[in-house]
Amino acid sequence: MPREAEPSANEKAFLLKALQDEQIRLDGREFDAYRPLELTFGDEYGVANVSLGKTKILAKASAEVTVPFADRPLDGIFTIATELSPMTAPHFEVNRPTETEVLLSRLLEKTVRRSGALDTESLCLVAGQKCWSVRVDVHVLSHDGNLTDAACFAVVAALRHFRKPDTSMENGVLTVYTPAEREPVPLGWLHSPFCVTWSFFGDEGETALLDADWMEEQVRVASVTISLNRHGEICQIAKLGGVPVEAVALLQCTSVALTKVKEFSTYLDSKLAEDAKRRDKGGFMAELRAENDRVVG
Amino acid sequence: MPLDTSAYSLALLRVDGRRWNELRRIHAQIRTQAAADGSSYLEMGHTKVMCVVNGPSEPGPRRGGVATGGGGGGGGGQSKNAEVAVNIVIAGFSSVDRKRRGRGDKQVFELQSTISQALAASLHTHLFPHSTINISLHVLSQDGSLLAALINAATLACVDAGIPMTDYVAACTAGSTSTYAANDEGADPLLDMNHQEEQELPGLTVATLGDSDRVAVLVCESRVQVSRLEGMLAVGVDGCKQVREILDRVVREKGIKMIQEGTVERGVGLNDMELD
Repeated sequence: MPREAEPSANEKAFLLKALQDEQIRLDGREFDAYRPLELTFGDEYGVANVSLGKTKILAKASAEVTVPFADRPLDGIFTIATELSPMTAPHFEVNRPTETEVLLSRLLEKTVRRSGALDTESLCLVAGQKCWSVRVDVHVLSHDGNLTDAACFAVVAALRHFRKPDTSMENGVLTVYTPAEREPVPLGWLHSPFCVTWSFFGDEGETALLDADWMEEQVRVASVTISLNRHGEICQIAKLGGVPVEAVALLQCTSVALTKVKEFSTYLDSKLAEDAKRRDKGGFMAELRAENDRVVG
Repeated sequence: MPLDTSAYSLALLRVDGRRWNELRRIHAQIRTQAAADGSSYLEMGHTKVMCVVNGPSEPGPRRGGVATGGGGGGGGGQSKNAEVAVNIVIAGFSSVDRKRRGRGDKQVFELQSTISQALAASLHTHLFPHSTINISLHVLSQDGSLLAALINAATLACVDAGIPMTDYVAACTAGSTSTYAANDEGADPLLDMNHQEEQELPGLTVATLGDSDRVAVLVCESRVQVSRLEGMLAVGVDGCKQVREILDRVVREKGIKMIQEGTVERGVGLNDMELD
């Protein structure tokens, strides 16, 4: 089993000394600053490409019609699949989930799925017989720390961008329309949660940094991931062990996280609006033209 | 699942008759298993867990599905710090519905990883390089606050095993009386939630180190207003202090008993200690 390469003792000492004595991060960022976050959508609906500094994540949403679970006949199926392949880093192996991967998928699951961001009841087509199964695949293309925040942003962006084929029920016959017949419809979306991860340094975790890169993640003594939406609702908090941190510091972290989440939310909204504008060729007058090709994108 | 927690506002009593700031009965025993290096049995209300600690010892062959933490370099026991390996077995009869959990259950893995990393920060793992501390936890009965009970049991067993540690890692849960959708300001925080309350109300699990306000574990899995976090956290931290007192008493009582029975020598510094 290959092990993750560790930074050398010198590198670790240098980073810690810079942080604690000089109050400087190696890349010169403020303690509460994110690396530049960029989001691009693919040509298809439901593909989001997120880069956070050198961390790159691709999320793709897809949907198919299946049979719902027997114990939940009125709910659709929603799954998030995370994959850390050897492409991300050599120590990740296929079909052997590492701790990082399991914790990442649990975190996404709690943030997006359990907080009820996607209205799964709206995915039901025929109770107990047919429903949509929505699946988001998260691919980590490049790992430079803070996978959780980037992955969560990518999943939410992909789902909000995604359009599923339109359907109708007539006399007990279910019809699924192709994009050529009817414009695909967006998912029933209730709120957009985002993750914000703080990393703690020092013997008592007194220094808190946002958006740690890979190097900082290797040296940190504890971390807490807080998921919020812009209405100020906590969806999940996970401080899974590590060096104990003052309770008051955690509360401060949460309030800063809320401002960051609001920024994420505005950024995502503006990107979605931009993309919608790009896809909307000519508006209503173009729709009315006789030679209108109904396929968009 | 319609449960009646809405009656709280009438008498300010919870479904099991407690006030908002009352813990359930905590009963704990240490040194329950003669063969193990350290062992404990803990009940928080109807949540019952057992813990067995073996080690620090030479690392054996690695098995899958065990979360480890603490070791700087990770696997193989080649690290400067002892590895804390936690394994949780949830008995099929522990809850109302018999749920089959596979080996790769992510939720159990997350619990293991949390306990391992929480204890690794408190145990003096640097004293035992190239070795492993094996903690195995068995859940016999579940009635809410599972993670808290597991952490408390693991702490007690580590004390029994005589592994040097900074202080007790004591845990408990806290919740809020209002559901997450309602934005009422008059919601009371609740201490130590049982299964019914966990199903219906937002809550979090806190573990603190000893008497301090320093939080080792904070897990919240439900939607809750950010303004309510402070109250819940304060009640939780306060509850942890109460739990720590209880754990400490259990350890002291057992110690006194062992001296009286002659199992262990009376230490030199203990002459002024009362043995009754």
